[in-house]
Amino acid sequence: MIPILAWRNIWRSPTRSLVVIMAVALGIWAALSLSGFATGMMKSYVNNAIENSVAHIQIHQAEFLDEYKVEFHLADAGKVEQEVRNVEGVKALSVRSVSSAMIASSKGARGVMVKGIIPEDERMVSTLSEKIVEGDYLSNKGKNSILISRELADKLQVKMRSKIVLTFQNLDNEITSAAFRVTGVFDTGNTPYDQGHVFVRRPDLNRLLTGEVTTAELAHEVAILVNDIESIEAVAKELQEALPALKVQTYREVSPDLELYETQMQSVSMIYLVVIMLALVFGIINTMLMAVLERVKELGMLMAIGMNKLKVFGMILLEAVLLGVVATPIGLLLGYATITYVKNNGLDMSAYSSSLKNYGMAEIIYFDIDPSVYWQASLMVFITALIAAIYPALKAIRLRPVEALRSL
Amino acid sequence: MNVITTKGVEKIYNPDKIPVKALNGVDLDIEEGEFTAIVGPSGSGKTTLLNIIGGLDRPTAGAVEVGGQDISELSDNQLIDFRKEHIGFVFQAYNLIPVLTASENVEFVMLLQNQSKEKRDARVKELMEAVGLEEKMDKRPSELSGGQQQRVAVARALASKPTFVLADEPTANLDSSSTANLLDIMARLNKEENITFIFSTHDQRVIDRARRVVTLVDGQIATDERR
Ligand SMILES: Nc1ncnc2c1ncn2[C@@H]1O[C@H](COP(=O)(O)OP(=O)(O)OP(=O)(O)O)[C@@H](O)[C@H]1O
Ligand SMILES: [Mg+2]
Repeated sequence: MIPILAWRNIWRSPTRSLVVIMAVALGIWAALSLSGFATGMMKSYVNNAIENSVAHIQIHQAEFLDEYKVEFHLADAGKVEQEVRNVEGVKALSVRSVSSAMIASSKGARGVMVKGIIPEDERMVSTLSEKIVEGDYLSNKGKNSILISRELADKLQVKMRSKIVLTFQNLDNEITSAAFRVTGVFDTGNTPYDQGHVFVRRPDLNRLLTGEVTTAELAHEVAILVNDIESIEAVAKELQEALPALKVQTYREVSPDLELYETQMQSVSMIYLVVIMLALVFGIINTMLMAVLERVKELGMLMAIGMNKLKVFGMILLEAVLLGVVATPIGLLLGYATITYVKNNGLDMSAYSSSLKNYGMAEIIYFDIDPSVYWQASLMVFITALIAAIYPALKAIRLRPVEALRSL
Repeated sequence: MNVITTKGVEKIYNPDKIPVKALNGVDLDIEEGEFTAIVGPSGSGKTTLLNIIGGLDRPTAGAVEVGGQDISELSDNQLIDFRKEHIGFVFQAYNLIPVLTASENVEFVMLLQNQSKEKRDARVKELMEAVGLEEKMDKRPSELSGGQQQRVAVARALASKPTFVLADEPTANLDSSSTANLLDIMARLNKEENITFIFSTHDQRVIDRARRVVTLVDGQIATDERR
């Protein structure tokens, strides 16, 4: 009977109940959408990083990670490549030689990472080849072509076909310089990354690093994509077993910021939920307080005829919870619809993209959500309604029947 | 056998500020099966006395025994249970739960008593017939007249099979035919089922129907007459 009573009581003031139901539903919707936005943004950031350069797994000589010195190359790149290809789950790989360098034009100079790549292999691992905005993707078979970013080209004030000079330490710890010709310009949308990286063909870089002509074998880094993103850890483990002398890292280890970002997003979703629910607490308190105060006589009568305090308390709590129970599916549905829509169609953020780009974000955000957020939201509504109803319920059971019945 | 015994009951409202002595030493015995009217001028303490007998309020001094039990010893929560089991209430107004139908209102106290569904259904039917409202079982209070609502309240008060029924001016808001009708029902239930009724009233027609009339003046029993 008490559930029936509670249910009918919330429809005594349908407008007031509907207002609070809509508020809770919109709160859930907002929390889910914000969470979808944040998670979508995080995924796009992480995916961009993976696609642009990091890949799923990287292999280096352990010392190379501490100190980017040419001498810490993979001892036998050809053999490493073979081992990697033998591991199941590996989809593609790119073997790179890497060196830090000074890049200089007549107008300026900057420190960059030079990556020596085999363009055809790199194409399988990163989206660099799709990010060319001018010129081509190191297709020129001539010597010393270089691919630089739009950002860097602007900073150095160079154009296509301009000559720029790379200076670095070679294998013998001697400073060497060589002129490269800009044959392509790329733009990944991630400003910090773009400013810090240039690409040349691996034989060109290796020749300068070693001083020898045919040293295609020199390499510092293997970037690997796996078939199934869920199997990254497993594949990494297997690779590590196959290559005990080298250091195998997943993208999370390569870029700890990505991992941090991923875990932070989960707390951010929770914080959104908590903040919104906190706001809703006051709406529910207000509604339930009104519901109690306008029923003082009736509550007095109920206690007079033998409804005990526990039952009265429970009835008020139940009324608040029922408001939440009605609101939750509406909110979840609205949230789900919004997230699904933006997941498929994307939200164009290009109006703000120059600032987003500075953080390595994409211009179009596709919402995404950890499904557990749905039940977290439902649970939070339940808890919120309970908490918010406590004060009005206490007010109700503190009524003394005689006074309640006498009051006007 | 006495169902209610009050001994030297005093009630002082606002003892700290402006004290009002509403009851000033009331000794009253109510026997099982009595049909008693408490009468007296306005402010003489009728409501106060009924509230104290009904365990809704506590006396400042004196004792109230119901069925041999001193109810001043009960905690607030025990008093709620005590009322549920032993006392049926009919108030002047606001008797019924507006969101429940007439029959649900009658059933409510039995639900609080955890009675079985069959028992409840049978008793609801019996009582709704007794108060002549078997046609109005599924009507909400707002769909009933004032007299019909008070008859449902009487049915509700009896549903729990209480030791006695307290009614504070049950006819105050009723027209004369509804008043007569309600009194008929109460008198019949009193006679046929031996239910003890104690009610307060100003209405001479109601007083005329009582078999015992206790008159209060200034918080004291002035006359106590059995007919
Ligand atoms: N809560 C209260 N606080 C202070 N004084 C009160 C309170 N309730 C009643 N009184 C006073 O106690 C006295 C008795 O009141 P009570 O309501 O019992 O009278 P009554 O006989 O029922 O009157 P009526 O016929 O008008 O209903 C009155 O003087 C009244 O003003
Ligand atoms: Mg009175």
